[in-house]
Amino acid sequence: MEFKSAEEGRIEKFPVGMRVLAVDDNPTCLRKLEELLLRCKYHVTKTMESKKALEMLRENSNMFDLVISDVEMPDADGFKLLETGLEMDLPVIMLSAHSDYDSVMKGILHGACDYLVKPVALKELQNIWHHVVKKNIKSYAKNIGTSRQLLPPSQSDLVPGVSKKRKDKVNDSGDDDDSDREEDDGEGSEQDGDESGTRKKPRVVWSQELHQKFVNAVQQLGLDKAVPKKILDLMNIEGLTRENVASHLQKYRLYLKKIDEGQQQNMTPDAFGTRDSSYFQMAQLDGLRDFTATRQLPSSGLLSRSHLTKIQPHLYSSINLQGMNSSGFIQQGHHQSSSNSANPFGTYHSTLPPRIQNVNLFQRTSSPLESLQFPRSKCSAYMGDFKSIGDRPIGGGFVDSCMSYGSSSTSLPSASTNTLMLQGNYTQPLHTVSSVNQPCIEKTLSNAASPNISVQGLSRLPSQSWQGNLNTTRFLSNSSPLNHAFFPDQVTCAGNNLGDCSSLVSAGNPGGGMQCEPQLLGGFLQNINSLDGQKWEQQNCSMVNNTFGNVEYPLPGDNMVFRENNAARSKGVDESLMSPIENSGNVNSQEYVGKPSTMVSAEMMKSGKPENAHIDNQNQHDVFDDIMNEMMKQEENNGMVSVAARFGFDSFPPP
Amino acid sequence: MNTIVAQLQRQFQDYIVSLYQQGYLDNQFSELRKLQDEGTPDFVAEVVSLFFDDCAKLISNMSRSLPDNVDFKQVDSGVHQLKGSSSSIGARRVKNVCIAFKECCDVQNREGCLQQVDYEYKMLKTKLQDLFNLEQQILQAGGKIPQVDIN
Repeated sequence: MEFKSAEEGRIEKFPVGMRVLAVDDNPTCLRKLEELLLRCKYHVTKTMESKKALEMLRENSNMFDLVISDVEMPDADGFKLLETGLEMDLPVIMLSAHSDYDSVMKGILHGACDYLVKPVALKELQNIWHHVVKKNIKSYAKNIGTSRQLLPPSQSDLVPGVSKKRKDKVNDSGDDDDSDREEDDGEGSEQDGDESGTRKKPRVVWSQELHQKFVNAVQQLGLDKAVPKKILDLMNIEGLTRENVASHLQKYRLYLKKIDEGQQQNMTPDAFGTRDSSYFQMAQLDGLRDFTATRQLPSSGLLSRSHLTKIQPHLYSSINLQGMNSSGFIQQGHHQSSSNSANPFGTYHSTLPPRIQNVNLFQRTSSPLESLQFPRSKCSAYMGDFKSIGDRPIGGGFVDSCMSYGSSSTSLPSASTNTLMLQGNYTQPLHTVSSVNQPCIEKTLSNAASPNISVQGLSRLPSQSWQGNLNTTRFLSNSSPLNHAFFPDQVTCAGNNLGDCSSLVSAGNPGGGMQCEPQLLGGFLQNINSLDGQKWEQQNCSMVNNTFGNVEYPLPGDNMVFRENNAARSKGVDESLMSPIENSGNVNSQEYVGKPSTMVSAEMMKSGKPENAHIDNQNQHDVFDDIMNEMMKQEENNGMVSVAARFGFDSFPPP
Repeated sequence: MNTIVAQLQRQFQDYIVSLYQQGYLDNQFSELRKLQDEGTPDFVAEVVSLFFDDCAKLISNMSRSLPDNVDFKQVDSGVHQLKGSSSSIGARRVKNVCIAFKECCDVQNREGCLQQVDYEYKMLKTKLQDLFNLEQQILQAGGKIPQVDIN
């Protein structure tokens, strides 16, 4: 049972490192509380302002394991914080100088896990971790209930940090997940049932209609002046919260920026590098059907997993298609039952489970291109890129292809685009493919332990790693020769550069199917490891962006905040950032905002499981959240102008 | 040298015990001292100075509000805060006058109570200052601060 400390990445046993948010407007009490908590070896984030605490909680629901707060604070109501914490399924402990029965009763009735009377003793704090475990038991039981797998909650499952990821993993890898997702598709409801994740917050699905209202409101206010509160008021939708709007607004802004950039860029195959799962989503909502070109939908695991199911079922496509060179994809179609997608990640032989619906490569059902798909995968594939690239007819049919694959031309460019995922330029697609692959692969690669691992790892791979490892040219050249059915035994890695490819494609070769994987994957793994730290650091920064979603002022202002935050950011103890004394509340808050997110993302990234699960953990209501995160991360990894940079980050200090 | 250290340590011990006995400090102060170690050598001084700063600020706010308006709510909140912080660090006398303050009903009484709070916190401040000075002397003489067990 391990729990990685957010500070140094060392592995400590829970409850060491348990992340506590301490709130008290009394500086003396707060300082003492902090020291007591530190003495218990918890990780402490403190703030004197309830407002700041709320922001931190909303910014990232996975930032803390427990909240401890004074109830009587002049500037805010401790009960409000309690409610927010409860919404996020966080244990909240109330602190008060009042020990009278009524006060205590009020606290408990409001749902506080515990009520401590000041002055608090060390012993009392040493036991507060119980509440975290108890909450996790409940959440676990709830999640498990929906899965066919009836695993007893193991210790690690109940330990925060590790547990949440594992829980999701359990859920995702369970058979029921797909059916859950399918059901969700069918529902199209605004409420999410038992989605993977431990939070109970109802999700808001941004339907076309809702999004339209949103856009109208934003336009009415003017993009610069559009603040979540006003937008919310204008939209006048019952049940919609400011937070929902705020996070959607953040994504919308990013999306608009990307559009601008995209339009400036050339729509070349290289443009595939852009990851716009979120754009695509936005584009779809915006009705920009011809938002083609660079926009492939590199569906990240999360995308396919949680969001897409809800919103755009047709965005799914078979994972395997991605990994394959164009012809590979196509040919694949012929083999419904065969699992031989020239899936570099997956086994060449294992049959993909019927429900591979994740990973979508390219969406847009409207595309006249051939559809590739794996049996039963949900479709839609848009290979808008292909259009621009030139089409290459993909020989062979694909089974059930919902996905229309751009006609793959025999030319190299298209081949390269076809390969997409594997292309050097591609960053996210590959990444996402792998990540998306993950769930499928987990199921399918029953006979391949390593692919599983690597796939999971791959999901976190920065694009560069792909470039480094994958000799993209391998795939690039797969054009013409592979224009025929990709029969396992027939795959001829003929043609240029397919030398390497052959190792992969040789998968076709029943016996040798698995061989290439290790090679390929080994490289990936290598990269994963080496780039982990760097990646995490970058992601740390990009994660910070999340706070924007919750801030009530237009982005430009945020930039400033974050600059300061960045400057102040350190991975050390919060103490360094927390001026206990009545300092400019401003400075404090900003620092607080910056730091926790850093720590959180570091923590998240550094978890031993670089899988999508953690992303699923984000209980953001907004559909685009995860997508945007992925996108942002990808950008980071790509070394392209990161979203964060656009927000004002110049560079990220090393850890 | 040793005798000097021993002497200072003796002095320190006696002084701190007397503070407890006279009710200036209570066991919360001991708890506070326990939280101080090599890693946090100035913890007690830090918290205590936070407390005194807080006292000064709150008292000055309250003394401003009292005569002018009848904004007892603000005053009450200030007293509540003071009570909380004083009990946290073990400033027993200060805490007691805060409790008494809460029971004050009218302006006159309140002003009287406020004066008492002011007096008590300043008194404690002086005493603790002396204590810290003793500590410094011990450390400078190369000795260690004695662990004093207050029963």
